[in-house]
Amino acid sequence: MPLLVKVRSFLRNLISTQRQEEDLDQEVRSHLDLLAEENVRAGMSPEEAQRAARMELGGVEVVKEQVRNHRKGEWLRSVFADCRYGVRQLRKNPGTTAIMVFTLALAIGATAAIFSVVYGVLLRPLPYNEPNRIMALYEVTTKGNLSRVADPNFDDFRDQNRSFQAMAKYSDGIVSVSGALQPVRTRVGVVSADFLKVFRVQPMIGRDFTASDTKKGAAPVVLVSNGYWKEYLSASQDLSESHLKIDNAVYTVVGVLPQGFQFPSDVALWVPADIDGENTSRTSHNYYGVGRLRDGVTVEQANGDISAIARRIHNAASDQSDYLLEDGAVVPLQDSITGKTRSPLLVLLGAVGFLLLVACANVANLLLAQASVRERELAIRSALGAARARLVRQFLTEALLLSLLGGGLGVLGAFLGVAGLIELAPENLPRLESISVSVPVLLFALLLSTAVAVGLGAFTAVRATSGDLRNALGEGGRGQAGSHSGTRVGRVIVAAQIAITLVLVIGAGLLGRSLMKVLEVNPGFRVDKIVAMEVSLPWVDDPKAKANQATFFSNLIGRLQQIPGVHKVGAASTLPLEDGGLPDGMFLLMTQQEIPKKPEDFGALFRQKERIGAADFCVATQGYFEVLGIPLLRGRMFDEHDGADSPHVAVISESLASERWPGQDPIGHTIEFGNMDGDLRLLTIVGIVGNVHQYGLDAPSRPTVYVNLFQRPRAAITVTMLSDADTKQVTSAARGILQGLDPEIPAKFQTLSQVYSASLGSRRFNLILIGFFAIAALLLATAGVFGVMAYSVSRRTREIGVRVALGAGSRDVLSMILGQGMRTILIGVAAGLAGALALTRTVASLLFGVTATDPLTFAAVILLLIAAALLACYIPARRATRVDPLVALRYE
Amino acid sequence: MSSAPTNLLQGTLDLLILKSLVTGERHGLGISRRVLQITGQTFHVKPGSLFPALHRMEEEGWISSFWGDSENNRRAKYYCLTKAGRKQLEVETKRWDRISWAIAQALEAS
Repeated sequence: MPLLVKVRSFLRNLISTQRQEEDLDQEVRSHLDLLAEENVRAGMSPEEAQRAARMELGGVEVVKEQVRNHRKGEWLRSVFADCRYGVRQLRKNPGTTAIMVFTLALAIGATAAIFSVVYGVLLRPLPYNEPNRIMALYEVTTKGNLSRVADPNFDDFRDQNRSFQAMAKYSDGIVSVSGALQPVRTRVGVVSADFLKVFRVQPMIGRDFTASDTKKGAAPVVLVSNGYWKEYLSASQDLSESHLKIDNAVYTVVGVLPQGFQFPSDVALWVPADIDGENTSRTSHNYYGVGRLRDGVTVEQANGDISAIARRIHNAASDQSDYLLEDGAVVPLQDSITGKTRSPLLVLLGAVGFLLLVACANVANLLLAQASVRERELAIRSALGAARARLVRQFLTEALLLSLLGGGLGVLGAFLGVAGLIELAPENLPRLESISVSVPVLLFALLLSTAVAVGLGAFTAVRATSGDLRNALGEGGRGQAGSHSGTRVGRVIVAAQIAITLVLVIGAGLLGRSLMKVLEVNPGFRVDKIVAMEVSLPWVDDPKAKANQATFFSNLIGRLQQIPGVHKVGAASTLPLEDGGLPDGMFLLMTQQEIPKKPEDFGALFRQKERIGAADFCVATQGYFEVLGIPLLRGRMFDEHDGADSPHVAVISESLASERWPGQDPIGHTIEFGNMDGDLRLLTIVGIVGNVHQYGLDAPSRPTVYVNLFQRPRAAITVTMLSDADTKQVTSAARGILQGLDPEIPAKFQTLSQVYSASLGSRRFNLILIGFFAIAALLLATAGVFGVMAYSVSRRTREIGVRVALGAGSRDVLSMILGQGMRTILIGVAAGLAGALALTRTVASLLFGVTATDPLTFAAVILLLIAAALLACYIPARRATRVDPLVALRYE
Repeated sequence: MSSAPTNLLQGTLDLLILKSLVTGERHGLGISRRVLQITGQTFHVKPGSLFPALHRMEEEGWISSFWGDSENNRRAKYYCLTKAGRKQLEVETKRWDRISWAIAQALEAS
């Protein structure tokens, strides 16, 4: 029963406070009366009796307060009281409150939005069972880079390791897939037997691959993703009749994977690797490796294990080419997916953190200004017995109200912001689908708001309640002394704001200059007016079938040339600047007589340094160079005489010519580059063409060997069309022509300018965001300067009045105020400069063509910031010059 | 003696108030005077300690209150022991006995 009584009292204390209070008041007063009565009975006069009673009671309000303090739920009631009082305070200055809430909302919202991206991409665990036990496996090249794994090396890793419970290799590519419906270009994963075991995924319908499915010559089977199953197999439970034509071979659908399993990303179908037999080369790096650690094995142990196996392979190999692995490495899968995006994302998070600091500084200044107006009120409360802790709590409560309000609005804004960020995000940002305002993001926003509140509240509270509050009362509320130190603190805050803003704006400036420099780079080809069509035919090995494909492409190009408005048509393995790029490898300089009889003897030739060269390998047509405007510098281009049976020819990029044949003429030399396409016929170099930035405008152009599509056919090409006509018309005409030739072949269209623009995606993304943060910080800092100066001028009205009365001219006043402002600004700029010099190094990897301490950017940004801050000082300074001494002196 | 020492011994004030109510309901002043009487004029419980204690004990459910008329027909708030209060009195008494025995032992030791 006592528990019930306690709960009842708790609730009564919270709910029926009014009645409680009246009851208490009556009780204490009746006590007073009883005391007085007693005193009268003891012989005192009524006045004396009253006085003695009061003495004994010790103050009605004090007793009541003591009772209140001991009530159950008192803490909660006082929190409510603080909140009520806080809300009243905030409503008293609706303008200031709105500014503070909006400022915090902007900063907290932006931070939460960026955190959503950071969380989704970097921190959120991968959606698999015990994802942190899944590792990516790599070979390490002689240069120390991570590379994909060659088949025999993978087999050794898998069979000899003691660290993994399951290991698989995989790769993926886009091929044409047709089933019941239209042919569709589909991303297909090629995986070894234990692939699903690594991820601990079971098909929801049907079965996993078995060991026999992955043997050479096994009947082709395929696993489909949940999405593909729903879209193309009409979600049928019965798979017995489901077959898919992939690359012209018929595959039996044996299983459907559960919703949400999507690895590698965008893959819709998985087929077993090695049904055509394994590649026996230890230097053909065709597969990614992935494995699940055994229980209790650490990443370091696994690394040592794989590394030892790799070094054994390296030492045992007879063919010690540069392409042979040097070492092996194990990296957590999540890190391997997000590796490159980590530092730019952390830079963004840092930048938005700076914005948050600048915003908090503004709010802190506004709160300080409010607190100095409240000095008198604080003094009265403290005189009435409020402990300092209680006043501090009051400030904390107010700050919490503000920041939760701001945080709430900010989170609403973050929902919009995240949608915008996803829209804006570059195509190569991994794990885009896992970015959302999730529960951890909301928790983060709540924590952030609380931290901001504690910071702001504690700061203002300590500032406002320090010193002797009785002085404030004594001064009749003018509080000149307190306010003087108040404006000094305000100026320190503003200087810090300027410093942080300077760092941000310099960062944005460096990124902006980098983008400008990148745009100045001559890509080596024409960008506009080019429509590209990706076409992939089934992969074939037989030379005759390959020749047929060449004829098909020749036909296709011929017909495309007839489209009205299309001037020129060409084709190449892939477009420059596209993800993926070209294959690269080592070629041999040799003559016809030097070609070894046995393939094994090639190994020895690769050890002769004077014979080898390294280059990218691109299959192209003559038209490709004309469409893209890649200039022929020397020699000749491919032409119609270069048929399949005439000597095979190659043109090389200028960079290859100068790198491999410095001071010589490469034209006429013959090279062997058969490891690229299996064709061992020699290539005669007939021409030199201009360099192309294949891997991005900010990446150096790489040495390239171009071969003729009609001599070295390949199944997948990108057709390029130079046209004046409307892109849509060209696209539909081209699609019609392709369908007329073969309705089974799907195509993908895009313009080269789209590819060009997409290649700048991450740069643009970083610049837009950091630029936005920098501009927001600049506005906030300017507002901060303005606020502090205006406040300082209003506080000094009387002093200025005296100065004017004593003969100071408006120029003197103006220069006094501006001088005061300038000192603050310069201190901020100096601090910011030091910060920028130290911090811009972190963005060095994002820069191009400018150093992290680019003097031009630094100078321009410093001038901009000083100009903006001075302008913000000028308006209050002007107001100061208009002070009428008569009014000012009467003012108080 | 002022009420300050009673604060030092948490529970002593409770014990005295409970004890003062054993003989029947009393208002605040009545309790204060009764305590003074039964402690041989030693403990003068001032309102600043008395009321918080009364309200706290009421919330604990040891005493209950009602409004009534004093001997001189003044309205006053009266307190009386509840069942839980009587139990608490037993607990507090035992505790006090133990403390006073322990203190006595300590003082007797040489």
